[in-house]
Amino acid sequence: MEEAWLIPAMPAAAFVILLLVGNYLPRSGDWLAIGAIAASFILFFFVLADLLDNMVGTEFDKALGQSGIDWVSFGDFELRLGFQVDQLAIVMLAVVTFITLMVLVYSTGYMKGDPRYGWYFAAMSLFVAAMLTLVLADNFLLLYAAWEGVGFGSYLLIGFWHERRSATEAAKKAFITTRIGDVGLLIGIILLWREAGTFDISEIFEFAEAGGYSTAYLTTAVLFLFAGAVGKSAQFPLHVWLPDAMEGPTPVSALIHAATMVVAGVYLVARLMPLFVVADPIALNVVTAVGLTTVMMSATMGLVATDIKRVIAYSTINSLGLMMVALGSLSVSAAMLYLFAHGFFKALLFLSAGSVIHATERQEVSELGGLARRMPVTAAAFAVGALSMAGIVPLAGFWAKDEILNVAGDGQNFVVYGLLMLSVFITALYMTRVVILTFLGEPRDREAHQHAHDAEPVMTLPLLLLAGLTILAGIVVFDGVGEAVGFPGGIGEFVFLEGPEAFHFPWDVAVLSTLSAVAGLAGGFYFWSGEAEPARRAGELFRPAYEILKRKFFMDDIYQWAIDRVVLVAGGMIAWFDRNVVNDTGVDGSARLGVFAGFGMKFLETGKLPNYALAIVTGVIVLAIVFMAVRA
Amino acid sequence: MIPIENFLVLSGILFSLGIYGVLARRNAVLILMSVELMLQAVSINFIAFAVYLYPEQFTGLIFAIFVITIAAAEVGLALGIILRIFRNKGTANVDEVDMLKW
Repeated sequence: MEEAWLIPAMPAAAFVILLLVGNYLPRSGDWLAIGAIAASFILFFFVLADLLDNMVGTEFDKALGQSGIDWVSFGDFELRLGFQVDQLAIVMLAVVTFITLMVLVYSTGYMKGDPRYGWYFAAMSLFVAAMLTLVLADNFLLLYAAWEGVGFGSYLLIGFWHERRSATEAAKKAFITTRIGDVGLLIGIILLWREAGTFDISEIFEFAEAGGYSTAYLTTAVLFLFAGAVGKSAQFPLHVWLPDAMEGPTPVSALIHAATMVVAGVYLVARLMPLFVVADPIALNVVTAVGLTTVMMSATMGLVATDIKRVIAYSTINSLGLMMVALGSLSVSAAMLYLFAHGFFKALLFLSAGSVIHATERQEVSELGGLARRMPVTAAAFAVGALSMAGIVPLAGFWAKDEILNVAGDGQNFVVYGLLMLSVFITALYMTRVVILTFLGEPRDREAHQHAHDAEPVMTLPLLLLAGLTILAGIVVFDGVGEAVGFPGGIGEFVFLEGPEAFHFPWDVAVLSTLSAVAGLAGGFYFWSGEAEPARRAGELFRPAYEILKRKFFMDDIYQWAIDRVVLVAGGMIAWFDRNVVNDTGVDGSARLGVFAGFGMKFLETGKLPNYALAIVTGVIVLAIVFMAVRA
Repeated sequence: MIPIENFLVLSGILFSLGIYGVLARRNAVLILMSVELMLQAVSINFIAFAVYLYPEQFTGLIFAIFVITIAAAEVGLALGIILRIFRNKGTANVDEVDMLKW
């Protein structure tokens, strides 16, 4: 595990080199960024092999996974720059390094000819380095630093086309919205540290399990930590940044807003699950409730979104909500399985949507349509991704979603279970909708349709690889598959919270979810095929509901109102206080007092000797009188 | 023995004359002479107290000699300054020498 630090170091080095001399390298150094992440991907296998060697059955001694150096020490306080490899981190490493590699290869085609081509790869490298550090960090301070690094990388990439005002607005929105959650994360970290006196995650676990925190204190702390996850993973009520983040280049959306950055929140909660277990059950109920709210809101908003990327963005929020529900049901296995599968099919969806946008330069579904004939490979890839998202057997999404439904059914009440089933139906509905509107039917924009064609091989190859994995990745749930490649068993036996979770397959859940998904597919075809007449009629019939969805539950309006009426007004008052009281009175006032006093006093300096002499004599006499008065 | 009060009255008169001279005179040389008067008043005080209070010690006497020495040095310096002012402005009247002001 000693080499684990090299995994984030590779892209970080690539970033530095690209930043310094990127413009002098051939092809602006894209090969360097790709080479670095490919090296990380290969290193991942060495780390994985190391981990498997050191596993005893399904157990892994966490101390073996630690490496790092002492960073700062003063007094008896020590801070390590340490990395921790364990099963959880391994799953994340696999997803992050592989998806990044695919996305960067794809980007060489997608971003070709962009004036800031080199900077794109530099920023991507920075982002990946931060993400990998976040995954491997063994203490909260390093984790927090990487967490902010990820946010900053995302800010750079969303605002990549900063000539467009909407892109800069979206970048700011994403940064500030996630920052609200980050403040919570920082508060949570400080709360944990204040009692335990250490930032080390495993030491804090031991401290918590030994009962070092009072229950109320720990619950408060983990809820603050969860606020960070809410911001980063775009959960209600901080989900508003993610759809707007689609202003960035599409590969960025695929990497950041699907496969890696947004699952950082899920990863954080999964990593800190031992704390949630010790804390009051309220904490986990909050996680479930937030996740469920997010699922329902995003699924319904996905039904009416008209931008192809935004639909996928809503499906991402939907997926993240599902993962949170799984974590709220205490199943790290289910959440990580979904994260693993989701990484592949969501990147696939985004990259094929990117191919559509690249070919047609349109992204409103009202201007697309009928593209399946022009770009069959892209259409097939997108359809595989969409079916996986909808949860159709035997694609990866089916197994993952079933696992979540399963644990939610076991661990939660029937309301959660029922709403999740409903969300499966809605998900299938809107994924079908976007497929039909984009690829089937008659082209609505003849000119764009004429020019459309499948992208070049460098862009299609990642699509095919991801499509293959989307089909196959789900089989990691089977014990036999895991054993065949050296794992103890299926993913439940590899990543778990307290004990290995053997694979079981309840038929009732599978049948119900498949029925919902198929009903969604059929409904989608009924509503949107051809002229989409039934959909229009439904929209007319439920006008208010349609309006609410179209306006995104008024969340943006509420935030805008809050910013205009609360934040800006309060800011104005503080600015007034600062200007008038602190600056004009406090700072300028004292200076002006000095100037004024000096101006008045200077007239005492007459330059005439007798005046000075008189002043001295008077002064001595006064002093003498005072002296005598005091003595007497 | 002459009572100490006589010395103190004498030195008080001398000191007051000196103060009056410093405040009332306008000629720089006369002001300087008035300052000398004040210094001599202080010297008389020193010697008187020294003799009456600690006749076996020489502290007060030595101080009087110090005062005389410093007064001599001061006079040399001050007369030099007054001479320069007189050369430059053609007067030794302190009312007319008021360039060092706001």
